[in-house]
Amino acid sequence: MKCSLQVVAVSVAAVSSMGLSISSSISAEAVAADPDAKVEYSGTLSVLTKFGSQQLSPYFVDVAKQYEKLHPGVKVELIQESDDSVKGKTKTLVASDSLPDIYFSWTGSWGANFVRGNRAVDLTKIIGPGTDWGKTLSPAAVKAFEYNGKLYGIPLYQDAKFMGYNKQVFGKLGLKTPANFEELLVSCDAIRISGMTPISLGNKEAWPVIHYIGQLLAYNVPQATLERDFDPATAQYTDPGYVDALKQLSELLERCTDGAAVNGTSYSSAVQAFSNTQSAMYYQEILEFDSSATPDTALKPADFGFFKLPVPDGAKGDLKAIEGAPEGYMISSASTNIPLAIDFMKFVTSPENGQVLSAPPYGQPSATIGGASASTMSKAVVEGIKHINSASYLMPWLDTANPPRVAAAWLSSLQALTGGSMSPEQVIEEVRRTASAAK
Amino acid sequence: MMVATAEKVSAVAYGAARRRWASKKVRVRLGNLLSLRWAAIALILVGWFVYYPIVDNFIVSTTDEDIYTGEVTNVGLANYDRLLHDPIVLVALFNNCLYALISVVFQVFGAFLLAAIIEDLRSERWRRFWRAVYFVPSAISITVTGLLFYFIYQPQIGLLDAALARLGLGQLVQPWLGNEHTAIYAIIAMSQWQGFGYTTLLFAIAIQKIPRDLYDAATMDGAGALRRLWNITFPLTREMTGLMVIVTVAGAFQVFNEVMVMTAGGPNNSSQVLGTWLY
Repeated sequence: MKCSLQVVAVSVAAVSSMGLSISSSISAEAVAADPDAKVEYSGTLSVLTKFGSQQLSPYFVDVAKQYEKLHPGVKVELIQESDDSVKGKTKTLVASDSLPDIYFSWTGSWGANFVRGNRAVDLTKIIGPGTDWGKTLSPAAVKAFEYNGKLYGIPLYQDAKFMGYNKQVFGKLGLKTPANFEELLVSCDAIRISGMTPISLGNKEAWPVIHYIGQLLAYNVPQATLERDFDPATAQYTDPGYVDALKQLSELLERCTDGAAVNGTSYSSAVQAFSNTQSAMYYQEILEFDSSATPDTALKPADFGFFKLPVPDGAKGDLKAIEGAPEGYMISSASTNIPLAIDFMKFVTSPENGQVLSAPPYGQPSATIGGASASTMSKAVVEGIKHINSASYLMPWLDTANPPRVAAAWLSSLQALTGGSMSPEQVIEEVRRTASAAK
Repeated sequence: MMVATAEKVSAVAYGAARRRWASKKVRVRLGNLLSLRWAAIALILVGWFVYYPIVDNFIVSTTDEDIYTGEVTNVGLANYDRLLHDPIVLVALFNNCLYALISVVFQVFGAFLLAAIIEDLRSERWRRFWRAVYFVPSAISITVTGLLFYFIYQPQIGLLDAALARLGLGQLVQPWLGNEHTAIYAIIAMSQWQGFGYTTLLFAIAIQKIPRDLYDAATMDGAGALRRLWNITFPLTREMTGLMVIVTVAGAFQVFNEVMVMTAGGPNNSSQVLGTWLY
């Protein structure tokens, strides 16, 4: 018996060490793009996009077809995921060491993970300031993918959050676009009295409310403090602006939305309610402008208006900040044809393709200089881009700026705040506790 | 001389018999060993596909791996310590137990009663009809059912709240999936609707196998419907009941899809189960 136990113990140890050595051996090495590398137009390129929705998926399908037509030896394989599913899909691909040649990435800590693991190609020499490709892209958007002084991402479009509203409803009720946060709440009261939901909100997925608090935090907490707290090593979450912002959010949820019911509603149902003119406002990304009001929806593009979430009185943060960030793509360091992957992304970010991307039905404001033409884009998107360009600070999405555990604490605590089971003070205490444990 | 010869013959015969016996023994042993090869194949397969993954899972659980860098750190039992001190794990475990308890009540004992009622109907046509009616939900994918019930529970346009309001039960109207106190019950209710018909059908099959003579004899002895159910149907379907309890409880601890589709574990982790929290 003793002997067999020893055999089992030795076997387990051997298997364990094998497992450890296998896992350790898959860590990738840093790869930098070579500006002089020759492109071989042959083989298959795999691309993981975030354009899995019915409205957006044709964009990459068409671009891939055009590229394959130009280079008959190349086949582009698309893996198109939605905003929600791309997170899980990417993690699975990373864990199985099978990232596609080109993959979607947010800025902030999401992108930093790929850089930390040497999963992304250093593109500094081909996309940096002064390079041919770099000159064609918005410098701020390129810089958003900077990590440790190097550039790793190819920005495809810019994104930011605005409050979309129904001009007809506002007109009928004699309301003007609110000049400050208090006026927004008063407008909500008036809309509710008229029998309509002021702001449709679906928080089943938990991240929609994160977007509200992100903008309110940018208004209430100084930028330097926010950035210190995003870093697990220095996070404190002690600034009183956090509780102020959460109190403002509580009031907005109570007076402008369906309250606790929003936790049982999906964000797509909320967009639908706005498009069907069942609500007067919907807080949305600029990317959604062209889909929430179309010639086919009850809310027509002419009746669609937007404004930046109004600033609360006495806010001590950056009042000109706007919540948003460019979104883009990275090249896998494990790709067997990096020059071809870069060439494909140069094609995707050409001014011609940028103009297609910026115009309806896609409405994704291209990060390419000359990739947005006011003549083909919807008026609202053109105006939105002006707001983004004039913003003093782009506040990153809280769930991608924070480490996963802290992001999870924000998500669940804000659902509790929305449902009324946590107070603003308890929310920030929970975030502080999690951030401290994550150090 | 004769004696010596006889002794010699006897010794030779004994030797030959012994050799035959030894050879037979070897053949039997060899045969036994050869017959073990079939068991060995099964043992290797079970070992490789069942026990090796269990051992490997345990080994993995004693490490902390960064999926991005591929770095693996041996952390001993720290993950288990974290698990034991994670309040959400307790919530998830409680929800799984709740799921199992309610499922056993409805999908085992409720389904047993329903099957008994259906099989007690005189008309075979009606028996078939009700079996089909109750089985239909089980034929729908759990993801589709989850989406269907998401809309039924939806606070603004959902059928449930609208029906409650129409029935004058407005005080019960609420965001079923958005309320921390009702979310898990709303998911469990959907699951009962979906799984009830399947177990009913299995109980119906078990009840059909009970000889009718027993019921006829009991009826002649003056036993009523409840007495027949308790004294004949229940004891003679106890194997099926036991199996259903095991299957239902095991299923309750494997719940994942319905929770992901309907609440993703929210709000505030109130509807997490072990599967979703692990994910």
